[in-house]
Amino acid sequence: MISATEAPAHGPGFLARKDLGALFALVRDDGRRLIGPTVRDGAVMLDELDGPDALPEGIRESQTPGRYRLEAGRPGRLFDHTVGPSSWKRWTFPPTVPVGTTRRDGAVVAFEPATPDAAPLAFLGVRACELAALAVQDRVLLGGPVADPDYAARRRSALVIAIQCTTAASTCFCTSMGTGPEVSDGADVVLTELDDGFVVTAGSRRGRELLERLPVRLATAEERDAAAGGVAAARAAVAANAGVAAPGLPSRLMAALDSPRWADVAERCLTCANCTLVCPTCFCTSVTQRSDLAGAETLSERTWDSCFTGSFAAVAGGNFRSRPQDRYRQWLTHKFATWVDQFGTFGCIGCGRCVTWCPAGIDVREELAAIAPPPRAVVTGMHLPAVTPAPDEAWLRPARVVATHRETANVTTLTLAWEGQVPGAGQFVMAGPPGFSAAPISVSRARRGAIEMTVRAAGPATAALTALGHGATVGVRGPLGRGWPLERMLDRNVIVVAGGIGLAPLRSLIEAIAAERERFRDVTVYLGARTPRDRLFVGELGAWSAAGIAVTETVDRAGADWLGRVGVVTHLFDHAERLPEGAVAAVCGPERMMEATVEVLRARGIPDERIFVTLERHMECGVGLCGHCQLGRFFVCRDGPVFSIAELGDAFGREGL
Amino acid sequence: MADRRSLAAELAASWFGSDLPPHARTAFLELAVEREVGAGTEMVREGQPTTGFGLVLSGRVALRLHVPGRGQVTILTVEPGDIYGWSAIVPPYRSTSTGVAVEPVRALVVDAVALRAALRADDALAASLYPRVLEAVARRLDGTRLQLLDLFAGQVEASW
Ligand SMILES: Cc1cc2nc3c(=O)[nH]c(=O)nc-3n(C[C@H](O)[C@H](O)[C@H](O)COP(=O)(O)OP(=O)(O)OC[C@H]3O[C@@H](n4cnc5c(N)ncnc54)[C@H](O)[C@@H]3O)c2cc1C
Ligand code: SF4
Ligand code: SF4
Ligand code: FES
Repeated sequence: MISATEAPAHGPGFLARKDLGALFALVRDDGRRLIGPTVRDGAVMLDELDGPDALPEGIRESQTPGRYRLEAGRPGRLFDHTVGPSSWKRWTFPPTVPVGTTRRDGAVVAFEPATPDAAPLAFLGVRACELAALAVQDRVLLGGPVADPDYAARRRSALVIAIQCTTAASTCFCTSMGTGPEVSDGADVVLTELDDGFVVTAGSRRGRELLERLPVRLATAEERDAAAGGVAAARAAVAANAGVAAPGLPSRLMAALDSPRWADVAERCLTCANCTLVCPTCFCTSVTQRSDLAGAETLSERTWDSCFTGSFAAVAGGNFRSRPQDRYRQWLTHKFATWVDQFGTFGCIGCGRCVTWCPAGIDVREELAAIAPPPRAVVTGMHLPAVTPAPDEAWLRPARVVATHRETANVTTLTLAWEGQVPGAGQFVMAGPPGFSAAPISVSRARRGAIEMTVRAAGPATAALTALGHGATVGVRGPLGRGWPLERMLDRNVIVVAGGIGLAPLRSLIEAIAAERERFRDVTVYLGARTPRDRLFVGELGAWSAAGIAVTETVDRAGADWLGRVGVVTHLFDHAERLPEGAVAAVCGPERMMEATVEVLRARGIPDERIFVTLERHMECGVGLCGHCQLGRFFVCRDGPVFSIAELGDAFGREGL
Repeated sequence: MADRRSLAAELAASWFGSDLPPHARTAFLELAVEREVGAGTEMVREGQPTTGFGLVLSGRVALRLHVPGRGQVTILTVEPGDIYGWSAIVPPYRSTSTGVAVEPVRALVVDAVALRAALRADDALAASLYPRVLEAVARRLDGTRLQLLDLFAGQVEASW
């Protein structure tokens, strides 16, 4: 080994192939497990490597849509392949990680967050596009208001040794996404392979320190030229492949939501989810529970999920993306359009994995060209921003049930002792009885020291919630989301329209208004329920009226003993030619009911900017990390659940989003 | 009982009457009688010939269907400004539901036969009255479709 003073002080160095073993040894001495490419099951896979012998020597991949095969590459070369089915996210964002444990000991319930298993890793052979993929996931999982603590720990401890590509597969399109083949950013050490070794540069202090401990000499001019030539050859090969016309693609794609091609590609797509599993940027997850037999301990795990699975966008009573064409459209528009709105970059880095590993041979490049054909334009690179870490996500906190009130046969209001932040009107919490997944539930009343939630038994978790008694413990995370825009309602007429359980999030709004009644003008509440027996908060309507809030109720059907109104909720005001001047409306109920209501409100002169709805979507995390609740460019959990109709635009009421 | 002048004002202020041109309002009012009934009075009966077309001025009329085993089910209430007995001018002129006053009701009622004759004879009346009646009926159809979805039972989106 050479001394630090002999290490290359200026410019790239050179590491002989025979000295690669020293790199493995050093990394191991530092207590890291080294992950790199190796041949397994007929493919180049990423796995833990013992030494350089495990690298795929003299091997190249032939990749075409739906097809992958190993071939002979240049003899002695260790990195002549490109990217196989596995990606680094398997190590930074594993398919299954524990998120926490719920322990029950008699009446005592404790929630413990999992500690990330952060055995430091070293990644050897990370390609430029894969560095871009890591940067994309950094933005998603670390860049938002809430960071994923497990990802943060794994990502920060990993040493990244990149390799610049000198070959390309037919499925590569990094040049059109601006992500490669040159490595510009994000690696500790960058290697470029030559016949007898590697041209090496350091990309970080950690990388420089590593190189200083390796037998590296200054690279000769010939070696530097050969390295540059290799990368240039790869660039030329990728540039000759089919690509994606990235500039302007998001708006072209969103303008093509009604393209007939969606149905066409859905005929070919098997909705197998292979594409999302091999994709290095896809981040959608679900949380599942595993209990021991005695039910004393429940482990919650976060597992990879996919927008192609049938239940991904399911909510109690329906599915927002029931057709394969809706799911394919969600995937493609997310990768190439709404991701840009959400995170400032494309969700695709051009690795081509989804093209190769699609059993139906569906090629995103071809689909994009058909659905959103390119204008004549020059492809330019995209900018990958630096990582901005955010505070760690809090795990469930125990909250004790201090009162319960049965509203109807299947709806119960729970009062929880609450020390946390007082939720705003329309905000929600993730609430789970021990042993069940947490479900998003609106806060139906909030005051210092206690919150209430009004829950309809729609499935296992909500049924368990409604069955809880006094003294029981619920795991709660929140308050979450953006609630009703109370400030927009000040000094204005307010119209509140609620259907069924949709009154729960509106109750907190009505009470907030009642508390400062003089700051609002006329306030009218229209309530719709299924039958007289399904009316909620019946005992409180009098207090609302007494506070100067006009309350009108209707039910969908009733027996002869009901003397009140019968008809859909819009029936309560569709005989008014105009509604109060300058009114702001707040609407919550089943989506179809909200659509009908919005139409009537519009026809009565209320503009979209002043009509607010709260949306229900399938939610797992509630903080913008799991991907489930997406509606176009929005994460309903984080950007909503309250939206104005003007914000939602076309996305409101559109089938399959 | 209100005088004809104040009845004319009430008609003009009602949802049904507000959109009718002056001629149609006058013609309608000439045919109409003001009727006040107590709670429980049956105004029209399911399956029977509809004898009168009414505009509710105050109170509430419940439209009910008889469902064997469940008795009378209210499917809609007619509120002030809205009409009942539209089957008076739509063949076969039989009521599609039973209309019962669930509160004291004051209504402007036109005899079915007289209204049909007037609509045949007076094209201008027909041209303005039919669209308004159709609008009222179309709204009910819309509402009924939503009720059919039984949304509050948990159907967020039909999966079929
Ligand atoms: C912002 C928001 C606020 C809500 N507020 C309330 C409220 O105040 N009161 C109330 O009773 N309900 C509320 N809901 C609905 C409630 O979250 C669902 O009914 C509940 O998640 C169903 O879960 P479950 O385990 O009981 O039923 P499951 O059997 O798990 O689910 C029944 C159906 O719901 C779907 N589903 C499963 N998990 C979720 C999930 N996490 N989110 C949405 N759907 C899911 C399933 O796919 C299935 O189709 C709200 C939903 C959202 C998004
Ligand atoms: S969408 Fe396909 S090409 Fe793009 S990053 Fe994901 S797997 Fe690679
Ligand atoms: S596009 Fe291909 S890989 Fe993706 S879900 Fe459809 S069939 Fe599977
Ligand atoms: S992103 Fe997880 S629920 Fe919204």
